Amino acid sequence: MKILTTAKKVVDVELTIHVENGAIVEDGLQYVINAWDENAVEASVQLKENNGAETTLVSIGGEDNTDMIRKCYAMGIDNGIHIDDPALDKADSFVFAKVLQKVYEKGDYDLVITGKQAQDTDSGQTGIILAEVLGVPCVSNVIDIEVVDDSHIKVSRLGDAGTEIVEVELPAVVTVSDSINEPRLPAMRGIMMAKKKKIQVMDLAALGTSPDEVGGAAPKSEIAEFMASKSRQAGQKFEGDAAEITARVVDLLANEAKVL
Amino acid sequence: MAKVLVIADIKQGVLKGSTAELLSKAKAIGAQTAVVAIGSNIESLTSELANAGSDTQYIVDDPGLELFSAGPFASCVVDAANQFDANLIWFGFSESGKAVAPRVAAQLEAACATEIIDVTLDGDQIEVTRPAIANKVMQRVKVNTERLVAVVRAGAFEADEGISGTENVVKLSAPAADLKAVIKELLSDASGEIDLADADVVISVGRGAKDQAGIDLVKELANDLAAGFGSSRAMVDGGLMAHNKQVGQTGKIVAPTLYMAIGISGAIQHLAGMNGSKTILAVNKDPEAPIFNVADYGIVGDLFEVVPILREEINKIRS
Repeated sequence: MKILTTAKKVVDVELTIHVENGAIVEDGLQYVINAWDENAVEASVQLKENNGAETTLVSIGGEDNTDMIRKCYAMGIDNGIHIDDPALDKADSFVFAKVLQKVYEKGDYDLVITGKQAQDTDSGQTGIILAEVLGVPCVSNVIDIEVVDDSHIKVSRLGDAGTEIVEVELPAVVTVSDSINEPRLPAMRGIMMAKKKKIQVMDLAALGTSPDEVGGAAPKSEIAEFMASKSRQAGQKFEGDAAEITARVVDLLANEAKVL
Repeated sequence: MAKVLVIADIKQGVLKGSTAELLSKAKAIGAQTAVVAIGSNIESLTSELANAGSDTQYIVDDPGLELFSAGPFASCVVDAANQFDANLIWFGFSESGKAVAPRVAAQLEAACATEIIDVTLDGDQIEVTRPAIANKVMQRVKVNTERLVAVVRAGAFEADEGISGTENVVKLSAPAADLKAVIKELLSDASGEIDLADADVVISVGRGAKDQAGIDLVKELANDLAAGFGSSRAMVDGGLMAHNKQVGQTGKIVAPTLYMAIGISGAIQHLAGMNGSKTILAVNKDPEAPIFNVADYGIVGDLFEVVPILREEINKIRS
């Protein structure tokens, strides 16, 4: 089985983020692998370990994606493809999907695994749109993947009515939830080996396509501006005798907030 | 004129509140409205769909649509969107909506935006506002296409009580089943439980509850208030609570009138799933817990001591 996994480098959501003049202030930000993509990498490596597979990671982004790809190598990924092209700076989910389609068509992949969304946009579209443009089945929000045979997998998906067990014909795209696994910490040996491995770096031309073909020049939507989030203010916090402060808070819920 | 198609949110045969909320917003921006209802044995919902504010009801009623399957559901929405010539296609917040919206957008070559909290129209120019980066920032997004498919964040729009629609049913034929992604089984959530997504009060339990006895204690409070009963991720990972109970960015996003976080420290992903609540009460032993930064009311204390008193005082006030 050949597995293609995607990983995006995103802003570290644990840090404070400031907005000025409609843009995010870059100063002090750090960039890390998207947490859901880390789950996708772990799921791919587990399939390789348990069922035998060749795993390839693709990442779209700037030069600083290299360390993230090496981290994925250290986790057990076999091959890395880095798509780096300034024409993709304003890409939306459709553009990313078109680029991934080109990567997919260059390999002979049976399964694509992506995180269910990226932490920077929280959009959750790219994997699903990729399946549409490839014309292959897709299951999103997956929490378990089991190989049935060479051409089928069985996945569990968290849906509105419960956990759906879906049998999927390959090739297919699945997007994974963080509930699927706990990503491993790479071992030292893996980290050392990852340093020596090659990464295939390509721009759109090398990928056999162009900004026009993938829609990079005219995205379907674009961010006009960022705004600060209306953050909630800390309210009244009570410490002391439990009976006394709890009675006080219940009174406030009923008579001040009027929600009881 | 804008034409809004709302995808009816139907769970176990019941029409959920988000449908009227989305239709109310559509009418508020002066749009023509239609709704598409997809499922099995749903024809009895027609008048309810009209009362929710729709002027056309596209109904796809087929036994094959009883269980959710993203492919066929997307085909139904595309069919209705084309018949109605909708330029705005809105899903309420749900896992089904998140799975189907990008497919519909790809098939209609429309733009797609998820978790929107507002939409504005200036002539043909559509813009939406949505949170990003775990709710830490807002984005104003310019749509460069004539059509937009969107998933609306829970609690973003309010239902207008005075809204009405007219009954005008259009039956659509059912699409073929997806033979490449076949649903074999549905491990159903416990039925009869209150749906987190539309409960007025949601009470969530976290690591502070320690074990089943702690969970049961908090559950009693939820039962008293007929509240939805949720959980932090830690409890789900620990196997103490089911996946479908997880409140947070990766689980259920809720916006109830009252949210109680009991024994939850307040990881960023949890906050992103509940900080749209009207009023938040937090109970936590640690006075420095981040949950207190978003709580309107905070009780610093041991939940095993506080929750029984909370029950007693609430019951006193409600009797």
